[in-house]
Amino acid sequence: MKRRGRGIACMWYPIGFTVAANASAATVKVNEDGTATVLTGTVETGQGALTVLGQIAAEELGIATDDVHIVSGDTDATPMDTGAIASRTTYVTGNAVRLAAANAKAVLFEVAGKKLGVSPTELEARDRKIQVKGYPQRSVAIGEVAYEAQVVAGRPAIGSASWNPPTVPLDPETSQGKPFSTYVYATQIAEVDVDDETGEVEVLRVIAAHDCGTPVNPMLVEGQVEGGIAMGVGFALQEEIVFDGAGRQLNASLTNYIVPTSLDMPDIEVDIVESYDPTGPFGAKGVGEPTSVPTAAAILNAIYDAVGVRLTTLPATAERVLMAIKQNGSRIASGTSVL
Amino acid sequence: MIDVALVVNGAERSVSVASETTLLELLRDHLQLTGAKRGCDAGDCGACTVLVDGKPVNACLMLAVQARGRSVVSVEGLATQTALHPLQQAFHERGALQCGFCGPGMILSAKALLDENPQPSTAEIREALAGHLCRCTGYAKMIEAVRHAAEASKP
Amino acid sequence: MNTRERHGASVFGNVLEADADMRLPALVPPPAFPIETLVPDVLKQTPAVGQRVPRSDTRLHALGQTRYIEDLTFPHMLHARIKRAGIAAARIKRIDTREAERMPGVVAVLTGGEIPVNSFGPSLQDQPVLAHERVFHRGDGVAAVAAISEQIAADALKRIQVEYEPLPAVFDPLDALAPDAPLVHPPHGNVYASRTLRKGDVERGFAAAYRIFEARYRTQMVEHVSIEPHAAIAEWDANGRLTIWSTLGRITLGRADLSRTLNLPLNRIRVIGSVVGGNFGGKNEITQEPVLALLSKKTGRPVKGVFTRTEEFTATTVRHPFIMDYKTGVSREGRILAREVRLTLDGGAYCSWTETTLGKACILSAGPYKIDNVHVEARAVYTNKTVSGAMRGFGAPQVCFAYESQMDDMARALRMDPLEIRLLNAFDEGSASPTGQVLQSVVVKETLRAAAERFGWNERST
Repeated sequence: MKRRGRGIACMWYPIGFTVAANASAATVKVNEDGTATVLTGTVETGQGALTVLGQIAAEELGIATDDVHIVSGDTDATPMDTGAIASRTTYVTGNAVRLAAANAKAVLFEVAGKKLGVSPTELEARDRKIQVKGYPQRSVAIGEVAYEAQVVAGRPAIGSASWNPPTVPLDPETSQGKPFSTYVYATQIAEVDVDDETGEVEVLRVIAAHDCGTPVNPMLVEGQVEGGIAMGVGFALQEEIVFDGAGRQLNASLTNYIVPTSLDMPDIEVDIVESYDPTGPFGAKGVGEPTSVPTAAAILNAIYDAVGVRLTTLPATAERVLMAIKQNGSRIASGTSVL
Repeated sequence: MIDVALVVNGAERSVSVASETTLLELLRDHLQLTGAKRGCDAGDCGACTVLVDGKPVNACLMLAVQARGRSVVSVEGLATQTALHPLQQAFHERGALQCGFCGPGMILSAKALLDENPQPSTAEIREALAGHLCRCTGYAKMIEAVRHAAEASKP
Repeated sequence: MNTRERHGASVFGNVLEADADMRLPALVPPPAFPIETLVPDVLKQTPAVGQRVPRSDTRLHALGQTRYIEDLTFPHMLHARIKRAGIAAARIKRIDTREAERMPGVVAVLTGGEIPVNSFGPSLQDQPVLAHERVFHRGDGVAAVAAISEQIAADALKRIQVEYEPLPAVFDPLDALAPDAPLVHPPHGNVYASRTLRKGDVERGFAAAYRIFEARYRTQMVEHVSIEPHAAIAEWDANGRLTIWSTLGRITLGRADLSRTLNLPLNRIRVIGSVVGGNFGGKNEITQEPVLALLSKKTGRPVKGVFTRTEEFTATTVRHPFIMDYKTGVSREGRILAREVRLTLDGGAYCSWTETTLGKACILSAGPYKIDNVHVEARAVYTNKTVSGAMRGFGAPQVCFAYESQMDDMARALRMDPLEIRLLNAFDEGSASPTGQVLQSVVVKETLRAAAERFGWNERST
């Protein structure tokens, strides 16, 4: 018989390395027609980092995402980057890109200021124009400024910058300190059906409410959440590398190491919770890893709700769930009343 | 060495290969059609999928000689000079591809489904994609993309 | 008078028939694809942040045009394969590569002794590029071959003879902690990293608690399973400058590792990070790159290496299995007064990204909750198994499983709604973390409420 259950789990997760420096550097070149090229040492691993960095550069320069081209991943041609790790790219590399774009923009503002008859501090860039704050009618096309800067004035609009999250080293005895500059938070709720005759768990639905600061690209954030939940389902129910007594992996193949397929996936609803982190580029934080953190806990809590068994070992395969049901072990952690 | 003549993406091709060559190796190494990927070389992941006479096949498990005289469609055969295939367009626009490695195989299986069943249910779409492993997307936007492509081609 | 009339139609007729007999292959049209990009409106909008922008790279993915490492070929390129130890702990007494070297199609062979600096690692450099005198897990590479085809390279591995002297091995992390356990990396003890976190006074917290909950949680070894296996290509120019194309997600670090292991200045190394087919933490350190570089140098030709799916499991990093002991004291209202955690990480054969994992897990282990008294002891243990390294979350999924499982157990015992007990304890803006950090842009309660509302959590009583 199928029994339905629901489980909730929340989490927190840091962005960047634990205390240690993990800088990113970037260079932004504004071409003489107002389009731009960004140089970054990061590597696109499939998460869409390059598009996000392009959006950040575009935002800073007041141009469109399509106007920005990203060059990445070449130690000869691009500046250093600590890498696509620890969910740091949007936050750390994003900050470096934004600062580099701001430096390139400063050159444009100096030239535009002269053209528009105002101090550069009075200017803003948007809609492919450089315009006077509070009086946008006085403006000049960014392409015109870029051309004038590079070709006429001999001052190409190029800017470079680096950024590293500020931290405070941890005390060696107590770990007290400021290990990370920012954290993200999330809650996932899973609804499952547990077959109490076979132990099989079907994850029907996962509601995921995730904080990522400002979502630079909500479609890509959703993609990370959905992919993270898939890894979480595998972690909760299916995946395990098994060894024999001689240290040999018994299931070193995709036939015998079970990874979720389209048939194993729940319906997922993603809610990007509003938040703004002033230390991140346009308020953004990050999202790559947090998405798979609470899923297993939510599913295991849902199993408990469904059939009253508490499994404390992952994965909760059908065999293990069934055995627990049979033993009728609702192995709640021992509680000793003090009062 | 044996001669294998087959149709690939609508063109007659003829290649001379060692007898143990797989269809995947024929496509990638001999015809430079690298869209089909080698993810596991054992038929488990689906990244090598191509259509053989309209049916999705793990090219790593098929010998080149078995494809003699057959018609093979790889991802390179889907677009025209003026437009992406509706599935390619939908996968791209709806964020259904992240690292993209499983993409070509996935799109071809989806095409085989829509060719046979132009208005599939969500369950049918899941079933059609079940032979493909994707570690990035959780399949959610892929299923949406197939549904969208099916909607878009409603007469 | 044209030729046709002079020679008669029948002659041309013959020629035409002969053409048909010759069966010239059809002129092959190249694969077609649209070059004009129809740019969706959203890509042309300003402002740019916050837009659901499709990625320009996924258009190439959909067309099958993206060039991953294994899609690249270079003139005269060779293929490399690495022989895996197949024994968990041993001394290498002898490696004989002569038979392999003699095989037709084999161009070069490499062993550990030829690596200029045969050690690497993000924090402890305890991992060899190729095992030299000792083997520490079955996936250790002991020799490598470059040949004109992958098949020949794979066959050549079988002809490499390695004589091992087996050593005692240990596989369970708790066994590895025993005083008489075999040492994985003698003379060092098996605990190779540890961290303590202390805030407040847990004993006082437990003394004031209404109830105390204790449990042990365990998580398993899992692998990244990127659909694209690890791959790299190495090539030198005649000025002794090395170029590596690699699936590495961290090329600055990768260049530093190559500089160190090959003893080359940084400006003579170029690392190109291609588009990667999935990383998830598994492609964050070098694997075969120095091997390919040395084979390329020996042969004067580009050398490509692509891991098999088996190697992805046995010879690349995995997620740390965790053993987690949680002891938590709560007030009658369900407020957490004290939490004591002991984490034991199964660190596998080498350190890799263990220190990062250990640090994060330690700091995160108490959960996103306001707790005045916290004590965490975390340690990582060597075992003769696959190397535990970086994997999406760095210990967070493991500890979250533990602290959120216990949260529900406590809620049930206190007859509280699982949502309510979390809202009671969760961080607020300005709360102090377990390391004493004042937290900003905190929205954990907002995520709890948003998820609960969307789920309809309160539409069913507990």
